[in-house]
Amino acid sequence: MLEALGIAALTLAVLSTIFLVALVLRRTSVAREERRRLQAERRLRSLALDIVGGEEIDVSGLATEELAILAEVIGRLSRNLSGDARRRISAYFAGTSAFATELRSLGDRRAWRRATAAYRLGDMACDDAVPRLIRSLNDRDADVRSATARSLGRLQAHEATEPLLLSLVVGVVPRAIAFRAILDIGATALPGLHRLARSSDAAVRAGAIELIGWLGDASDAELLVGAMNDSAAEVRARAAGALGRLAEDEGATALTDALDDRIYFVRLHAARALGQVGEREAVPRLLQQAREDRFEAARAAAEAISRIDPQALLAAAELPDAGPHLHEAADLLKA
Amino acid sequence: MSYLHDLAVFLAAVTLTYFAALNLIYLAFTAIAWRSLVEHLRARGHAPDDEVFTSPVTPPVSVLVPAYNEGPTIVESVHSLLSLRYPQHEVIVVNDGSSDDTLERLKTEFDLVPVRKALRFLLPTAPIRGAYVSRRHRNLWIVDKENGGKSDALNAAVNASRYPYVCAIDADAILEEDALLRVARPIIDEPEVVVAAGGIVRIANGCRIDHGRVLDVRLPRSRLATLQVLEYFRAFLIGRVGWSRMNALLSISGAFGMFRRSLVETVGGYSRDTVGEDIELVVKLHRHMRERDERYRIEFVPDPVCWTEAPETLAQLSRQRRRWHRGLGETLWRHKPLAGNPRYGWLGTAAVPYFLFFEFVGPVIELLGLPAILVWWIFGELSVLFLVGFFVVAVLLGILLSLAALTLEEHSFRRHREGREIARLIGFSLVENIGYRQLLAFWRFVAFFDLARGRNDWGEMNRKGFATIKEAPLPPT
Repeated sequence: MLEALGIAALTLAVLSTIFLVALVLRRTSVAREERRRLQAERRLRSLALDIVGGEEIDVSGLATEELAILAEVIGRLSRNLSGDARRRISAYFAGTSAFATELRSLGDRRAWRRATAAYRLGDMACDDAVPRLIRSLNDRDADVRSATARSLGRLQAHEATEPLLLSLVVGVVPRAIAFRAILDIGATALPGLHRLARSSDAAVRAGAIELIGWLGDASDAELLVGAMNDSAAEVRARAAGALGRLAEDEGATALTDALDDRIYFVRLHAARALGQVGEREAVPRLLQQAREDRFEAARAAAEAISRIDPQALLAAAELPDAGPHLHEAADLLKA
Repeated sequence: MSYLHDLAVFLAAVTLTYFAALNLIYLAFTAIAWRSLVEHLRARGHAPDDEVFTSPVTPPVSVLVPAYNEGPTIVESVHSLLSLRYPQHEVIVVNDGSSDDTLERLKTEFDLVPVRKALRFLLPTAPIRGAYVSRRHRNLWIVDKENGGKSDALNAAVNASRYPYVCAIDADAILEEDALLRVARPIIDEPEVVVAAGGIVRIANGCRIDHGRVLDVRLPRSRLATLQVLEYFRAFLIGRVGWSRMNALLSISGAFGMFRRSLVETVGGYSRDTVGEDIELVVKLHRHMRERDERYRIEFVPDPVCWTEAPETLAQLSRQRRRWHRGLGETLWRHKPLAGNPRYGWLGTAAVPYFLFFEFVGPVIELLGLPAILVWWIFGELSVLFLVGFFVVAVLLGILLSLAALTLEEHSFRRHREGREIARLIGFSLVENIGYRQLLAFWRFVAFFDLARGRNDWGEMNRKGFATIKEAPLPPT
């Protein structure tokens, strides 16, 4: 027994010493590494700015590690750039081994390395990476898929619209990230979204309709009004939201009719949209919804009236049957 | 004499077994935590945080702040919460019948105006006196109610919240600017699966704080608070990371936790008859989801930081630890069907038994076991060498675990930039096993008497400061 205690004590003492040494070494080495890196970044930043600014720079004299740091600095700059500067970044990376390395790393067996590569390729701005990145949307690791979606958005890869939307619908890429990526692709995503808005899958239709609301224009109103009669409530709700964002009068009648939808979240989105469109004809029906409907739908109706006709709201709030939502909206209006 | 001998041998054997098992568990958790944190840190390098921040479909969050006599800190706290980096959030402060000037300070600072706010009242609460909105920050709401305790205030805030996720924050806590965004990441990534997430709590004593922001991370001057820094490292970086990996996280700190609102409402909100409302809510959520065989996760995220003030006097620390222990005991008693029940997965088979035997009953074993070993020695069946050896091994294990937690912190987050602060923490990790841990065990032991007496109060914590649809009535002018 005593022997066992002795061995245990010795083992613990050795392990504690190892942790102690690791702690001290880690602190000194990280501090040194941070200092060195900071100095290198400072030195290379002006070079990076010159490259982004279109100067002809010879980087052949830089060591491998310096080239990697330079690539990172340019990558960071690229996140806030567009237009010619981004094209110059693309031209720079297309000729470096850094791009080839990251592209190759998309097939690495380590998930974190694949995710890092997917992320960096977005900052390198090279369109050549798009086909390979689209394939990475099917990676088995969630982080890789998220980083890939983000990069496809950064690269404004319109050909990725459909796979991105499908990834969003199936849930293999977080909705917030896939949605942002398609918005980053911009108006060039619209033809793909129009195709998907006619999909046989209601969830795909709903996603496409919602994004058309963000990226589309007045010419999409007819498609959205049509979607207000879709058999799927999710599509009707998204179409209402999209019409509200486009603020097209053309949708006002369909939106007012949707206040009678049997599904409450369609009524909710329709009320919000009517507030954005500013449809005065809908006020009596909105007043009724604000008094009688479920909590969120009633609140949306009260807020819509506040936007469309403040006087009508204040008058309605004085009535004995006004209810809490009209009271709140009226008080907020006066605040 | 024989009876005493048998009892001493039994207790001593239980103590030795308990000691060996507990430390093996700790060591296993250290290994699990190490792996999890390394993965988490790698993922941070390619996390599309900016995309999440600018995405219009990132779910909005209601930040809930129960406030009772928080006059010295409330204004700074609210400023810090309003400036959080998150796409869309509202802050709901519930003044829980404060007897100080909490409400007056808020009114003056934020230009509040009374509003008849529509409230859900799905969760019962003490009567609401009124609600206010800020003219300067339209996403700041104050609900004024009669005193009903922290749980009651949180339930009132849930009733008043607008958004699908709620994040409960202590009024005296400070969140880092991107903490909300980071703690929400598991929910944003898997909204259908993740129902709750909690972040890390760190000790703000000693830090330089200005306008609700921690500008410089420093160790507390107080030795007692410094000991708690180490303790929090162990609890959060090892314990919670490990349990989270097994989806058996029993507790999300009441100081900083995010929940799916509809689920909180479904399980009846925060229980008003316990002082451990945070742990109780998490166990209720687990139980609800498991009993319906629904796929879910409750996650701990190690990098979003909530800074909080730690007790600096023995009296305050004693009250806090006794309250925590009472809360744990009440929750374990209330949810006793979970213990050892495989239907509840790792929660039933590992987490609840662990918390029952090692966290809850542990202090009794520690305090009764050591005298029993001494009695065993008096009977002449143990040698002095064994006693000394046992003591040395116990202390070395404690040191090892603290150093492991410290190394983990240093490897991952490196919040303490000064080398001498790390040296100080190393020093404390050597001495905390003699005196401090025994004191904690004693307080937790005393909590059993509080439980037996049916104590249900929170006790005072003197803050120094850091620097059915109804509506709320209009407050009296």
